[in-house]
Amino acid sequence: MPSLLVLIPLFGIILLNLPFRRLNEKYVFWFAVFLLSVQILFTISHHSLFWQQGMGYIDSFFKVDFAIDSLSFIMLLCIAIVSMVSLSVSRYTIPDPRERFKFINLLMIAAIGMNGIVITKDLFSLYVFLEITALSSVVLIAFQKDMNALEGAFKYLILSSIATIMMLFSIALILLVSPGTSFAVIAAALKESPNSAVIIFAMGIFICGLFIKGGLVPFHGWLPDAYTAAPSAVSILLAGIVTKVCGIYTAIRVIAFVFGFNEVIKSLFMFIGLFSILIGALAALGQKDLKRLLAYSSISQVGYIILGFGTGTALGMAGAVFHIFNHAVFKSLLFVNAAAVEKRIGSSDLDRMGGLSYRMPITGSTSVIGVLSTCGIPPLAGFWSKLVIIIALWQSGHYMYGTIAVLASILTLAYLLLMQRKAFFGKLPKELENLKDLKEVGPEFTLPSIILAMITISVGVFFPFVFDKFVVPIKSIFMQ
Amino acid sequence: MLTNVLLLPITVPTAAALLILMLPKKFRAAIDAISLFGSFLILLLSILLFKRNLSYSMPALGFGIEFSLRLYHFSGFIVLAAAFFVFLITLYSNAFLREKSYSKQFYVYLLLSLAFINGAVLSDNLVSMLFFWEGMLITLFGMIYIGGKRSFKTATKAFIIAGVGDLCLMLGVAICFYISGTLAISKLHIPISGIGGAAFILLMMGAIAKAGSMPFHTWIPDAAIDAPLPFMAIVPASFEKLLGIYFLSRISLDIFEMSPDSWASMTLMIIGSITIVFAVSMALIQKNYKRLLSYHAISQVGYMILGIGTLVPAGIVGGLFHMINNVMYKSCLFLTGGAVEKQAGTTDLEKLGGLKKYMPVTFICYVITAASISGVPPFNGFFSKELVCEGALERGFIFYLAAIIGAFLTAASFLKLGHAAFLDKSKNGKLPIKEAPIRMLIPMIAIAALCVLFGVWNSLPLKLFIQPILGQERLGGRDFSGMPHNSLLVVITIMVLLGALLNHRYGVKKHGSGLKAAEHIHHAPVLSYIFNKAENGYFDPYNIGLNISYGFSKVAFLFDRAIDWVYNVFIIKVSKVFTAAARSLNDGSYKSYIIWSLLATGAVVIFLIKSMIGA
Amino acid sequence: MTINIILLIAMTIATLWTVMGRSLLKATLGLAVTSVVISVLMFRLDSPMAAVFELSVCAGLITIIFVSAISLVKPLTHKEAIVVSKDRMKRFRYLPLLVILFGVIAGFFGIPNDFKPIYVALANDVRTVLWSLRQFDMFGQIVIIIAGALGVVVLFREKEKR
Repeated sequence: MPSLLVLIPLFGIILLNLPFRRLNEKYVFWFAVFLLSVQILFTISHHSLFWQQGMGYIDSFFKVDFAIDSLSFIMLLCIAIVSMVSLSVSRYTIPDPRERFKFINLLMIAAIGMNGIVITKDLFSLYVFLEITALSSVVLIAFQKDMNALEGAFKYLILSSIATIMMLFSIALILLVSPGTSFAVIAAALKESPNSAVIIFAMGIFICGLFIKGGLVPFHGWLPDAYTAAPSAVSILLAGIVTKVCGIYTAIRVIAFVFGFNEVIKSLFMFIGLFSILIGALAALGQKDLKRLLAYSSISQVGYIILGFGTGTALGMAGAVFHIFNHAVFKSLLFVNAAAVEKRIGSSDLDRMGGLSYRMPITGSTSVIGVLSTCGIPPLAGFWSKLVIIIALWQSGHYMYGTIAVLASILTLAYLLLMQRKAFFGKLPKELENLKDLKEVGPEFTLPSIILAMITISVGVFFPFVFDKFVVPIKSIFMQ
Repeated sequence: MLTNVLLLPITVPTAAALLILMLPKKFRAAIDAISLFGSFLILLLSILLFKRNLSYSMPALGFGIEFSLRLYHFSGFIVLAAAFFVFLITLYSNAFLREKSYSKQFYVYLLLSLAFINGAVLSDNLVSMLFFWEGMLITLFGMIYIGGKRSFKTATKAFIIAGVGDLCLMLGVAICFYISGTLAISKLHIPISGIGGAAFILLMMGAIAKAGSMPFHTWIPDAAIDAPLPFMAIVPASFEKLLGIYFLSRISLDIFEMSPDSWASMTLMIIGSITIVFAVSMALIQKNYKRLLSYHAISQVGYMILGIGTLVPAGIVGGLFHMINNVMYKSCLFLTGGAVEKQAGTTDLEKLGGLKKYMPVTFICYVITAASISGVPPFNGFFSKELVCEGALERGFIFYLAAIIGAFLTAASFLKLGHAAFLDKSKNGKLPIKEAPIRMLIPMIAIAALCVLFGVWNSLPLKLFIQPILGQERLGGRDFSGMPHNSLLVVITIMVLLGALLNHRYGVKKHGSGLKAAEHIHHAPVLSYIFNKAENGYFDPYNIGLNISYGFSKVAFLFDRAIDWVYNVFIIKVSKVFTAAARSLNDGSYKSYIIWSLLATGAVVIFLIKSMIGA
Repeated sequence: MTINIILLIAMTIATLWTVMGRSLLKATLGLAVTSVVISVLMFRLDSPMAAVFELSVCAGLITIIFVSAISLVKPLTHKEAIVVSKDRMKRFRYLPLLVILFGVIAGFFGIPNDFKPIYVALANDVRTVLWSLRQFDMFGQIVIIIAGALGVVVLFREKEKR
């Protein structure tokens, strides 16, 4: 059944691209909405038949069994949520229906890619789906073909290709010692083979490829340019889920289940994580462009995830995965609001903004919630995941890392409050006062932002429930 | 019955509040209907839940912080009482807030407060109780704030005072956890000595701050003017008392091992007695209906604290009975005040008078509840006061004296209030005043009837609600229903009441009107000076605290400047450096990105190989 | 063994020619030569099917695509060409340095040969691998092709003028 997650979108795209396109422009939107909502629904109910039942012929056709565990569930949920949000925003930011048709096709391909990444159990399939996601993301970034976007897409293409080359190279080297490419087989082979430099080199190269994809410092060069230059709907997708699935989820999956944890990898991850947190936050402090600031903020938050993951304890890893979810929610929220602002004002330059929350109250207030959640203010969701990560750091004895992580939260608070104040509070600058249509944006923006804000609030307030249902199963995966 | 049903008293009001929040203000009828229906639903729920023992728990954070709820007779009783009063007040507010623009926000805050108080009362874990307790701070602030433009100051004051109480509570909780290692309320049993004593003091301060006793009381008279009246009827009169006294009794009876001879008991009784006497003295000289009532609310809390502090069965039963009685007659008195405010347009006693002719039903309810609060037999206040007096006398004559003086002054001030508002000649020209609308009358009549019922047939509340809280062993097998046992006390009480009546007539004759009936006490030699200062907020700890902090801030101003410089100048310079560095690194040239990535890859690989080869 | 080494050196030279070549066409040619050398190597290493794929796809199909794309591009004017060619070689000034550095590191660590690689059973030739073992990846390939086609349509289609 899980293979349907990748099959149905594909057949849908093929069908919808058949000659009778004029009829299909509207249908494709609702088809995508339907698919994504089905995905959301099924991931929330773990025990539904959808997951248990095989599909006989199709599964035997594929012969690769799928690893659907709690980690995959959360990632599938994130993918669906962020894709839905991006879909909704695109309704407004890409007004031409034909363009939107192409956009939705590409979005679904990206969704296929990401779904495939999280459900596969094989290293090479992982690579294939990683490529799918990368290719569709590149095209998406360049979607509106303005100079900045093309440049950003090109940079992403180049660096992403370097990352995939490194990963492919690493897989080739690993194939020297392993008879197959599925996770279990490779893990067994790596355990048996002695600690040779070639294998370690392969692992290192693979990890660095993942770092490039995930946008960690110092591999992050493409990220601010790509996020800023991409059209709004695509930025949401990139920031919310693409970087995380391609880079971070893959890292978690591969390290925890294939390469195995040892002290060296742990300390590497923690160092890179902390480094990303600090550099991302410091760079965000002085940014003048709203989207660029949010891009650096994403780098910083991904640092937290890697930091939590690097502790190696089950609690830390569960916290990291939970932070992936939270980050998908609140970063998408902030990017949706940035898109709304950009649509109304025409630029995302912070110096030209001010006092927007009077004219755009919903955007302003949901933005406040997103900011508070990112900073880790109770009782919102971001607080809990950060708390779990810091507790895990403390418990595993890395007091210095924990303290610096807490102090970095202050930095996060600083630049986000600065952004909030510059953009939403304060006074409306003179040139904007005359803009007639500087009013609240339509439901395509406000509905997703309100829903995302509610998700953040309710996950935070009902944290005990979430902890039981979602985080503890993830912990138990890692405890083996 | 599923234990999840315990979540309903918290979730149903929250859901109703959110529903109302989402409706636009215009849908007044819908808002009224939803709030009424919602509170009725909760009332039914509490009646169903009463008398059952249930518990529900959900692990939250580890470290002993759980979200656990426990329903037993005491918490069920409080939930029932809260639901009952919210229902009545909602009915009342449907009429009272008819023209006010803030009705929607009021209902939202009201329902949220109900959710929080249910959560706090049902909690079996100190941290989750703290969570709900703190939540009430926000609704407290909100409800006062919506009263008008000037109410921001009062709202802030209430928030700060309540916040200080909550801070003490938090510290007390932390110490309890440190001592006993568990946060489950039903499992705590801490000796008073040493650091346990500190925990007790802190928790007690939190509880009495919530209940509104001295010295945490100064926001209540201000709120009486600035906040909407139904707020006064529900929050200081009922919610705070219910929650504060509930927690105080948990502290004294369950959480700590206290015996009647301990210093803790003495502390409670002293605080109670002082509160009784001083608050009621302040009440005597007030010239505003609502302010007068609010001082009485403070004073009556003193009785409750005194009663519980005696730690003898009579006193504790009396204190708890007084809690529920007080909630009843105090809210009804506020409701009559609201009726007067709505119909006559003012609550300034100098402008009121002669309302007996025009608002007879209100007048009768006033008489019944004023008699109850003064302790006139056979109303309920009489019985609870007698029990408290009996307990106080057992512990020391001076406490009994304080209670008696309180009774005297209470009666005097209510005689004054009733006379000035209802009996005197009317002082303003606004003659055609009608009786209050039926939706406002029904709650008043209902409560007044209950006052009579709980008085005459007092074994009902005692046996059903109060005595099970103590349990048979603590009661010593005694039953407190029926007439009080000690006839001498009854005689003294009745003499005191008669004395108050005589004093009132003397005052009326001397000064000419009901309003001025208490002036001779007001202007007595030493007392007038004290009253003057007190009315000007001289003794208000909040004001004292503010003044101290103003002085302190002048000294800290220079220090502040230095820190300002650090933040505004230094940090910005530092961040500029970093941003410039980031900008120069991320200069848009993908070649440099590639170089950085490859260099870093090399470093990582070399690091990995070096470390893992050795292993 | 020696033939393999010669082939590897030839491949390296072809790669360098690709990267440093003066015109795009020459670079494409270099790419084709590289692919040819690689397919010869594969053939020598006993994987004929992979060699055939490499030859036909990389050396053939991709070269044709590149050449047709390049022929659509407007060539540089003479002046621009001079400007470009002046600084052309400057980009590669660090290359010898890197090579020496790499050689030093390799010499320092030693080319590792301390493990026994496993040889996958030769019975699995390409056909079995593609169609029986790796169907999921084939599915992925289909998706990539569709994605590529969509990408071309999106990026390179001119906006229709109404």
